This record gives sequence, structure tokens and C-alpha cells, in this order.
Amino acid sequence: MNLDKRLFINVIPGKTFLDKLSGTTKVRLFFALIILLVATWDFRILFPVLVASLIGLVSIKPNWKIVGSLMAFIIAVNLFNLFLIWVVTPDYGRNIVGGSTVLFTFTSRYILTAETLWYFLIRFTKFMATFLVSLTFIQAITPSEMAAGLYSIKVPYKIATIVSIAFRYIPDISRDFADIKISMQARGMELDSKKAGLFTRLKQNVLILCPLIIVSFERVGNIANAMDLRGYGKGKTRTYYSEHEETENDRLMKIIYLLLYLSIVAVIFFRIFFPPEFQVWAPWI
Amino acid sequence: MKEKSKLSLLLGVWNTKTIVGVAIGAALFGVLMVFGGIKVFTNTSLTSAMIVVVVVAALFGPLPAAVAAGIGNVIADLIGGWGFWFDWSIGNFVLGFFVGLLPIYGAKISDGIFTVKHAIIYVITVILGNALAFGVVTPLLTYLFYSSELTITWMQAFSAIVSNGIVLTVIGIPILILLSKRNARKTNLVKED
Repeated sequence: MNLDKRLFINVIPGKTFLDKLSGTTKVRLFFALIILLVATWDFRILFPVLVASLIGLVSIKPNWKIVGSLMAFIIAVNLFNLFLIWVVTPDYGRNIVGGSTVLFTFTSRYILTAETLWYFLIRFTKFMATFLVSLTFIQAITPSEMAAGLYSIKVPYKIATIVSIAFRYIPDISRDFADIKISMQARGMELDSKKAGLFTRLKQNVLILCPLIIVSFERVGNIANAMDLRGYGKGKTRTYYSEHEETENDRLMKIIYLLLYLSIVAVIFFRIFFPPEFQVWAPWI
Repeated sequence: MKEKSKLSLLLGVWNTKTIVGVAIGAALFGVLMVFGGIKVFTNTSLTSAMIVVVVVAALFGPLPAAVAAGIGNVIADLIGGWGFWFDWSIGNFVLGFFVGLLPIYGAKISDGIFTVKHAIIYVITVILGNALAFGVVTPLLTYLFYSSELTITWMQAFSAIVSNGIVLTVIGIPILILLSKRNARKTNLVKED
């Protein structure tokens, strides 16, 4: 997988509906969705969120060439993880869904139950929804909007700056990495997996890593001086240029994320005071 | 010279340089966590990301290292596509804090002070921090946040402890020695008695 293609961020806001929302709305909506996705294992909530996040991703018109290969990669990784879980505990659904309807028997230990499959479907839905929400979020937000949004939820602005600089710096890392790799190859380092063994490639990756870390940290002084010269960190509060006033769309999304926060409270309330017998709901149990 | 209090050493100096350093450390940590690792067990790997924490710890101290590791893990979750695991982010935060305790026991990397005694204390704190972060804090939070089965978390935690321990000691100590030598060269003045 190409590092360059994977690490892409926007610096200039786009023109679609989600792009035009203010940073505050984007960050709050994102946190509402992520907390909801972390809090619940209920397919009746997860599936609508998955569909909504798919619609969101389509609506911002991403570069499908990049997003498509990324999605294929993530789907493969998640399926592989599910397979590993099945290898470690074949009857995983018994304790979590509450039942063990055998569909298929390989050996006495390796059985395939309906409950395990149902659990895997839910887990897959959950992770894909989380992935799509984060992908849409990264695609639709700029670093400075992210800082503004974090500041609006009372995160200290120095932390907000850390997050936005880190976010902004990710493409630079991939560029530096590619540069160092090319110059190392020009000096005769073999990075082709067919020609060099695993151990030599490992050693060579460390040799690329060292300059990458040194270059990155040498840049700290320059960036810090530039920020100091512009008077960063002198005031107690901070305003953001990228933040605009609430528009009609922002007010619409505000209703949606407030509803999401209410449902989070409801989900947590029910989990604490009326805990279900089994963690995962299934239609036939 | 004025002796800094332990508390200010723990918190670090939050000037612009620290903020930028932590930010770049977090970005590097996130990217390396996703791309710079060899898989050991599901969602854990022998990751080179911990090297970044050692560098941030040596340059800025405990709390900056902790913040870099914590935010770095969130960034890794954001670009990695395996879902958000805030329990692990907090675990990394705790571990980062322990790695960053260097100046507390007198290993001042920025002044070029790092001896064998400091290396031994470093190994002990790293192992303790590792065990506390991924053996206690993360499973506890996993249980609270996700209330899921702990067997897989235990296995992940165990592999994380081992792989982080290896990276932090085997690669971390040479890096600390290198950094301290690099800084010692800058100050070639000898203190008069």
C-alpha cells in the first residue's frame, strides 16, 4: 500500500454540504457518532449509522481511486482479524450473544455457529461504520477547522493546536519518508521484497526511520520560532479565522447531533440500569 | 543555577517549542503505529512508534511524552481504520509518562547526562510503566468502556507489554545514549571546582 495515497488531508475547504459546515459542527457531530459507535453493540443502531456514514462519504465526492483501494484494504484487515478471533475462540458467540446454534462442523473444536456469525456481522458493521465516519471526517475537515472545533468543546487551545499541527504534519511525514527512501535507494540500498530478505529489510527500515525522526525534530525549532514571531500563546483565549458563523445547515446539523447525544445518554443509561442478559442483541433470542 | 522543583519537571515547560515538538511527535507516533510495525497479534504489533516517545521524553519530559503518545494513538486510530480504542490511547498515555520520567531520576538528556545507573533505572521504570499501563489501566478501561471479554484484551496486552518492552529497551537505550552524546558535544565547558 502506497504511503502517499493513504495519508491525504485537505487544507482548503471543499464545496459540498458537509464541507461547508463550521468546524464546531463537524467536530461535535464526529464525536457524537464515535461515542455512539463505541458505546453500543446494537445492530439496530449500528446499521443506520453505517448507512448514514456511507451517504456522508458519497456526498463529499472523494477521490474514489484512493478511497476504493483504502476501503478494500481495511475490509481485508477486519475480515482477517475476525478470522483470528474465530481461530482463538471458535464458539465466541456463546457468551456474548447467548446461544450456540451449530451451522457447520469442521472438527469437534472448530464449529461455526449462527451466533458467532451474527456477532462477527455486528463487529464488522461497527468497525466499518467507525472507519467510514473517520474517513469522511478527515476528508471534510481542514486542520485549522479541527482546532477551532476542539476549542469550541472546551479543549485547552494549546492541545487543540497540538492536534491540528499533528494532523497537518502527516502528509509531510509521508513526503519525507518517500524522499529518504528514494535517496537511500539511489545509494544502492535494496528495498525490493523479492531481492532482500525480511531481516535486511527490517534493518533498512530502521535506517530510513532514523533520518525521518531527526529531520522531523529539527524542524521543531523553525516552526516554533515562526509561531512565536506571530505572537502565539500570549493570550488566554483564542479565536479562529477559519470559524464562520452558524448557517442554516449548521442549525440543521445541530438538531441531529443533539439527538445523537441524547441517544448516547439513553444507551448508557439502559446499559447501567437495565443491563441485558447478553451483550449483543440478536433477533432470534 | 536555580533548582527546578519536581512538579515542574513532571509537567514540563509548555512553551511554543514543546507544543510543536509534542505535535510532531504525535504525528510520527500515529503514522509509525499504522505503517512501521510487524504484526504480533491482532491489533498489536512490534511497533517502532515507541522510539518517538523516547525522543519526545528525552527532549521535553514526562507529560509532553504522555500527551504525544496519547494523541498519537488517537491519530493512529483515525487513519488506521480499526476503530477507536480510547482504552489503549490512555494506556499509551500512562506508558509515555513513565518513559518520560528521565529527568526525575537525574538523567538530563538535554545536558548530556545519561549513565549506566540511569539506564538501569530507565529499564525498571519502563517495565513497571508497561505493566501498569497495559496490564492494569487498559484492561480496566476496556472493561468499563466496552465491557467486552477480557481474554483477547489480556492476550493483546501481554503481546503489547513484551513488544513495547523490547523496543523501549533494545532500541530506546542506544537512542538515549546517542542523544545525550549529541547534546554533550554542545556544552564543552568543564565546571570548575
